[in-house]
Amino acid sequence: MPSSPILFFLLFLCFFCTQLSCTKTEVQALLAWRSSLKDPGRLTQMWTSNNISTDPCQWDGIKCNEAGSIISLSISGCQIDGTLDKFNFSSFPNLTELWMDHNENLHGGIPKEIGTLHNLQYLHLSSNNLVGEIPVTISNLSNLEDLDLSFNQLTGAIPSAILNMSSLHYLYLGNNNLTGQIPKTIGNLINLEELHLSANYIKGAIPREIEHLTNLTLLSLYENELSGQIPLEIGNMTELRIADLRYNKLQGNIPATIAQLPNLSFLYLGNNQLNGTVTPYLGNNSYLEGIDLSNNNFVGTLPPLLCRRGELQYLQAANNSFILLPITLKNCSSLTELDLHENNIRADVSQTLGEHPNLSLIDLSKNRFYGRLPSNLGGNILSLSLEGNEISGDIPKELANSTSLAILNLSNNNFSSLPLIQAPALESLHASNNKFTGEFPLLQQNWTNLVTLDIGKNNFYGKIPSWIGSSFPVLKILRLGSNQFEGYIPPQLSMLNNLRLLDFSNNNLKGPIPHVLSHMHSMVIKTMTNESYITYFVSNTNEEESIDFMWKGVEATYQETIALLTGIDFSCNALSGEIPEDLMKLQGLISLNLSRNQLSGMIPNNIGNLTSLEVLDLSMNILSGTIPPSISHLTSLDTLSLSHNKLTGQIPSGPQLQTFNMSDFSDNVGLCGFPLPNNCLTHNNSIVPLVENEAGYKKIEVIWIICSVILGYVIGFWVYFGALYWKISLRFAIFQFTDKMQDKMMKWCGRYFH
Amino acid sequence: MASSSLLISLASCLLFLAVSPALASNSEGEALCAFKSRLSDPNNVLQSWDQSLVNPCTWFHVTCDSQNRVIRLDLGNSNITGTLGPELGRLQHLQYLELYRNSFMGKIPEELGNLKNLVSMDLYENQLEGEIPKSLSKLKSLRFMRLNNNKLTGSIPRELVTLSNLKVLDFSNNDLCGTIPVDGPFSTFPPESFENNKRLNGPELLGLASYDFGC
Repeated sequence: MPSSPILFFLLFLCFFCTQLSCTKTEVQALLAWRSSLKDPGRLTQMWTSNNISTDPCQWDGIKCNEAGSIISLSISGCQIDGTLDKFNFSSFPNLTELWMDHNENLHGGIPKEIGTLHNLQYLHLSSNNLVGEIPVTISNLSNLEDLDLSFNQLTGAIPSAILNMSSLHYLYLGNNNLTGQIPKTIGNLINLEELHLSANYIKGAIPREIEHLTNLTLLSLYENELSGQIPLEIGNMTELRIADLRYNKLQGNIPATIAQLPNLSFLYLGNNQLNGTVTPYLGNNSYLEGIDLSNNNFVGTLPPLLCRRGELQYLQAANNSFILLPITLKNCSSLTELDLHENNIRADVSQTLGEHPNLSLIDLSKNRFYGRLPSNLGGNILSLSLEGNEISGDIPKELANSTSLAILNLSNNNFSSLPLIQAPALESLHASNNKFTGEFPLLQQNWTNLVTLDIGKNNFYGKIPSWIGSSFPVLKILRLGSNQFEGYIPPQLSMLNNLRLLDFSNNNLKGPIPHVLSHMHSMVIKTMTNESYITYFVSNTNEEESIDFMWKGVEATYQETIALLTGIDFSCNALSGEIPEDLMKLQGLISLNLSRNQLSGMIPNNIGNLTSLEVLDLSMNILSGTIPPSISHLTSLDTLSLSHNKLTGQIPSGPQLQTFNMSDFSDNVGLCGFPLPNNCLTHNNSIVPLVENEAGYKKIEVIWIICSVILGYVIGFWVYFGALYWKISLRFAIFQFTDKMQDKMMKWCGRYFH
Repeated sequence: MASSSLLISLASCLLFLAVSPALASNSEGEALCAFKSRLSDPNNVLQSWDQSLVNPCTWFHVTCDSQNRVIRLDLGNSNITGTLGPELGRLQHLQYLELYRNSFMGKIPEELGNLKNLVSMDLYENQLEGEIPKSLSKLKSLRFMRLNNNKLTGSIPRELVTLSNLKVLDFSNNDLCGTIPVDGPFSTFPPESFENNKRLNGPELLGLASYDFGC
């Protein structure tokens, strides 16, 4: 009896002691692990004590329970460099939360001992550098609700035991190198609310067992190698709000059951191999906010009920084979982004764009839209691309005066008139290949943002205004080619310090090439070669600029490498005078086309300065003199044309020059030397008749000898017999002489032989 | 029945033919990217080589014909180091291979013999070693072969005498051995084409059993 309180006290003490020793072992485990690290980072200052007793419960990032045992360990972003190999997991039986994410030098594998943390509810090891497989022992953590291993380098398949953990609410395994298939046990995750398996290499089909995930709100499987069809069981996932299956290899139709989901807000299916028509009931049951059907093979019409609940903001259906749009689209006033490019849509554009006050990104390019633009195109518009349709008429004033408009692409349509454009935020204006006419378009002067101006392939006429030079401080691309511009090239162009691509080809420009163009600073420096972006992004958007450019004999569209293109094309005009020597300062040029003009004088001596040049076309001019020897320094040249000029002299030799053909130098009366067949023999470089080699020489001599001999015979014959025939007295004289000689001979012979 | 299946197979064949130039161009882009992966390119000359593009015809230093097939590769004097891989042999329409004045090392791949349209092979002024592949005798269109100023060894393959279009050949400044062929186009090449090959023994002696000595 009296011993029971003592016993009780002893037990209590024992318990207390074990608790203390628990705490003591916990501290020891923490410090032992910290000393095993190559660099403990911030742990050094976080895990220090001022008192003599090392009570970890006072340390940063550590929480304890009432008994002083650690329940929460939070060391995210502590710049730890080391592994988990020496972390004694079994020393922390009461741990419920472990946050060790965002330590980019925490490497090595996840030890299987992690399965001993029986009380663990939250496990966060994301954004480290962990490798190896996910340990199956994690499935022993029967209380685990949050498992986040994303943004590591984990490999192997997802163990099916882990997908059997019905305690899980949040499972994040995205952005690793996981392979294999999604285990069928996934159906047991009945409490799961969010599933992230994105950005891995997972194959196989989406298991039909997902129908049991009736609490799942977020299904993120994008960027894997999933194949097969989307199971129609997806229609049973009644809580599903976001389904992101983009960038896989899914095939077949979208199951019609998806339309019955009452909570679906975001359906992202882009970049798969889906086909067929999209169920017309999509949007009937839920408040759809975002749809991505892009880069598949869908046909038919866009479903009409997408905007039924008036919440649809993002509609992305680019690169499919849709042909029709529902009339409901015009009234979908919640839209902020509409991207339908590269389909076969045949529709009246004024019936498509209507009441869209919030629409900021519109891309209808490469379809068969017709009709005229509506006038109420919305005041928030940032990017409008209509390229490659059959739209006609005017540009509405509201659009031309938009203060938000940054990208306007009207190219390849039937537009006929351009108003005064006063959009101060405009960065990219493409209006090529339309029926625009009139003088150089009225653009608001002093465009601080305009980077690209492309009005080529229209019927503009008149002069190129000189205010161009001072109005576009950041202009990089100026394309006026294939119009009827006339007059002189304004020397004020030289003020465009950012200009890289200048195309005035195919116009009626006359006069000289201004030598001050050598001041165009962006063409003087060689292209920056250590830029990681070699494309032009239009600010505030994800749009990459693109331009059509003709070089190497082909017109092609340049987008990804547009920032490397530096060129001048003045071909097909009536330019005269000499090619300015100063132009050779533009060392950044990779393409120089001055062909089909009336340029005279010599090719500048220092043409060899243009060391980046890949294309040089000076053909069809009246250039004279010799080809400068410095041209042999152009070792990047792969297209050279100097034909149809008046060049003379020996073609210089050089490593790149010897790769060009006769046709590149043809029709130059005085030019000789390889690759032309005629050699240059004298100092005057006069032409020698066509001979191949010495054997040819001999041939000529023989022919001359034969001719002379025959001529001699003929002349001699006719002189003798001609004289005989025409002069009778001569005939008689000769015959008489012959007779007399004959008599003498006979007498002599007779005397001698008798 | 039979006629409809015949029609279908014909249609798919034609479709394949229509698509195959595109496929071919894509594989030429792949070949060029494989070529690029062996190289170190400090001047970023190959910066424009983007494999995500449909064909390599917008790449700098690559020239295509009107059917988007690579006909020229101009990388002379570009400060490139690395080796030449077999993938170059996949550029079936290549006419000009200009890789001179760089630091290419290793052997000349025998797959270069597959370039049946090649007109000019300029590999001079590099550090190429090994033998001149016999397969180069298949380059029936070749007019210019300049391999001078490398570290090539072995003998000059006799098979090269079948290259009847060859106008200019330069093997000087290497480490070739054996004798110089005298048949076919080799009768027109001046002695400078072979100079500075210490172990090259001069023209082969006709009428004798041909063998290479000291090689």
